[in-house]
Amino acid sequence: MKWLWFAYKNVLRNRRHSLMTLLVTAVGTASVLIAGGFGLYTYESLQEMSARESGHVVMAHSDFFNQEEETPLEYGLADHETLKQSIEQEQQIRMVLPRLQFSGLISNGDKSLIFSGTGVDPDGEFYVKGPFLKMLSGKILTTQTTIEAEPQVMLAKNLAKQLNAEIGSSLTLLTTTTDGVLNALDVQVQGIFSVGVPELDKRLLFVALSTAQELLVTEKVSTLSVYLYETDQTAFMEKKLTQDYPDLVTQPWWEQAFYYFKVRALYDRIFGVLGVMIILIVFFSVTNTLSMTVMERTRETGTLLAMGTLPRQIVRNFILEAVLIGLAGALVGMLIAAASSISVIFLDIQMPPPPGRSENYPLYIYMSSWLYGLTMLAVMGICIGAAWFTSHKAANKPIVEALAHV
Amino acid sequence: MSILLTLVDISKTYHLGHNQVMALKNVNLVVNKGEFTALQGPSGSGKSTLLNLCGLLDRFDEGRYLIGDCDISTLNKHQLTLMRREQIGFVFQGFNLIPVMTVFENVEYPLLLAGLASRLRREQTLAILEHVGLIEFVKHLPDQLSGGQRQRVAIARALVKKPPLVIADEPTANLDTKTAHHVIELMQTLGRDSGTTFLIATHDERMAGRCDRVLQLMDGALL
Repeated sequence: MKWLWFAYKNVLRNRRHSLMTLLVTAVGTASVLIAGGFGLYTYESLQEMSARESGHVVMAHSDFFNQEEETPLEYGLADHETLKQSIEQEQQIRMVLPRLQFSGLISNGDKSLIFSGTGVDPDGEFYVKGPFLKMLSGKILTTQTTIEAEPQVMLAKNLAKQLNAEIGSSLTLLTTTTDGVLNALDVQVQGIFSVGVPELDKRLLFVALSTAQELLVTEKVSTLSVYLYETDQTAFMEKKLTQDYPDLVTQPWWEQAFYYFKVRALYDRIFGVLGVMIILIVFFSVTNTLSMTVMERTRETGTLLAMGTLPRQIVRNFILEAVLIGLAGALVGMLIAAASSISVIFLDIQMPPPPGRSENYPLYIYMSSWLYGLTMLAVMGICIGAAWFTSHKAANKPIVEALAHV
Repeated sequence: MSILLTLVDISKTYHLGHNQVMALKNVNLVVNKGEFTALQGPSGSGKSTLLNLCGLLDRFDEGRYLIGDCDISTLNKHQLTLMRREQIGFVFQGFNLIPVMTVFENVEYPLLLAGLASRLRREQTLAILEHVGLIEFVKHLPDQLSGGQRQRVAIARALVKKPPLVIADEPTANLDTKTAHHVIELMQTLGRDSGTTFLIATHDERMAGRCDRVLQLMDGALL
């Protein structure tokens, strides 16, 4: 305790030096926490988006992912209703959504374009997609009960634009049935959406599962998307489902999330370089201040050594001083970062679209306890390293030389 | 009287670039316990070098040096540090007090190093500060004291752990005549009370005149 008290008094001895080091440490800590918090938010958002897009676990026919289908839905799931009910018995599972992937031409009578369609369960699908499907106009699909009503379609914005389609417009879907016969179906535009990726917004459309099955003349679906309550249960549940349904093949969300991994790899590098730069700046700043302090106190160090202070005790004293400054700097930095995290919630700052996307997204900075703890440890480590680096030579200097230092 | 310090044929050479300066040449010296010994000689005669060697702040090149029965040449750096901590007190010309520590903390420091319990440290520190007449200055910082007061703090710091040997390098050089007189008197009184041996380098004739023995050094050799 006494040594800590002496360290505290030494920190206050040269207030300007100590304050400068404290500020650099605080700004460095805040920068790491803000950049890291933003990174965590981005990763979690992308992870959530990917998981909501595909489902946490996708279940399909054993040949679905590795064989090319010769006719549509050759490797589809026929008894999906029974399967769905059976899978949904698991407590960790929120819901199971059937999906039917198909493609073909969509026409407004004057112009035909290629589309990539998905037949979905309207009640569940748009619930799980949540904020990751942006509705631009109209409404989401509904489960149609009147057989006479014209089937509904939701178009991605660029596809709608190219077809000059608006809400209520009638269009025709043309595709091949499971028997290889061409089939067409008139649909009415119910809504226009964007997934935020320009290339996908030129092709995507959603119809109700029953509409897709009617068009393809089938009872099958392509896949079952399993949604969990907790994303971190994915690996466990995928393993369990594989064991429980050996005739089917399962894929976790990350095996379909190419975009997530590419963006994460890019951001990891950006944040990594940024982190290393900040660490170096803090290290050199603390080293610089401590070097001046150690130099100014050479004679004093000589006196302490003469009185029988061990060199390691001298080093420890300088480390304690650095730790006090580092601790104060890190705490101030944490306060700055926490204040920033709270402020951006109210400021509604929009970030430019990430690579390959077209939509801005709101800036949030996560306050993660492990990130804060890790940063605090790193700052302490830097301060301890800098203090050792600058003081061990002085502590081992010949005493006579140290005492003669002017 | 029993012997505290024994120096046999001690030599020390400094290497300054390509030049070699022989600071001490075959010094032979015996200092008894409780003796008050002055070292005199012109600047560059080797007084400080001899004090540094006796105080274990520097190493000699040749000869033997014993403190009591302990042969110093057999000790490693760590053991030398512990020996200084336990056996030797220092009084410097420039006082060398630690500026951020109060008078009490400066004097307490050697006891802290020795690992004494807080209560014992407090008792012994206050006792010696009482002795040197600075009890009312315990909370003062060194720069709030006069030169004489600072040197009294330095003497208290050197003696608080009751070491067998105190090395003092020009302890009165920065003090006026009256203060110097008080400091000499204080060192003698405390030295006699505790049986401490003093080895003092000084140009001050008054100081030398009050010592038990005065040694003259010239060109690194004892006359």
